Amino acid sequence: MLPTVPASHFLFMVAYALLVSIVFAALLKDQRREQVRTGAMMFGAFLAAAFVFGWLMYPFPL
Amino acid sequence: MATKSTTAERPRAGAEPWRLALVCALAWLIPGAGHFFQGRRDKGLVFLVTLPLMFALGLWFQGRIFPFEWSDPLVFLGAIADRGIGVPYLIAYFADAGAGRVIAASYEYGNTFLMTSGLLNFLVILDAFDIAQGRK
Repeated sequence: MLPTVPASHFLFMVAYALLVSIVFAALLKDQRREQVRTGAMMFGAFLAAAFVFGWLMYPFPL
Repeated sequence: MATKSTTAERPRAGAEPWRLALVCALAWLIPGAGHFFQGRRDKGLVFLVTLPLMFALGLWFQGRIFPFEWSDPLVFLGAIADRGIGVPYLIAYFADAGAGRVIAASYEYGNTFLMTSGLLNFLVILDAFDIAQGRK
């Protein structure tokens, strides 16, 4: 029996951002240090963009 | 890093058509296998862990594996994306998983995880192809 799916949109977004960042970092960079740096930057950018767009959409629907 | 990725230190895999086809087929069937086959173990391991995990999360989130439906182009494209992951898709198919539960709060997230894992594996296949061609 699988555990219950968490009902947190934020957790879904974090999991998605993390996995996509890891794959892109591995694809784009060859050295481990660069991969970690690129992955961390991408992950941070995903989260930052989610917060910014989340707050921008906050007043809608008007 | 155990395996260097510079072209200079690595013998070219060659560009024979059968080898390219083998690399692409392996890379599609098992995410990361195309990289493993060519000695890029670190990258292969990353893809082998993350992409099936992403696909499994999509199933857990009650996403749907879309059927090939010609009448609905977006569903058709989603079906192609879902099948990009290879063996994990086949396992889900034979296990009758991926029916989707539209009323679940996580349904759309599940769909997104399923499709993204397949699409990312298409990029991984292209990367493996480039390595086999000696471009990387």
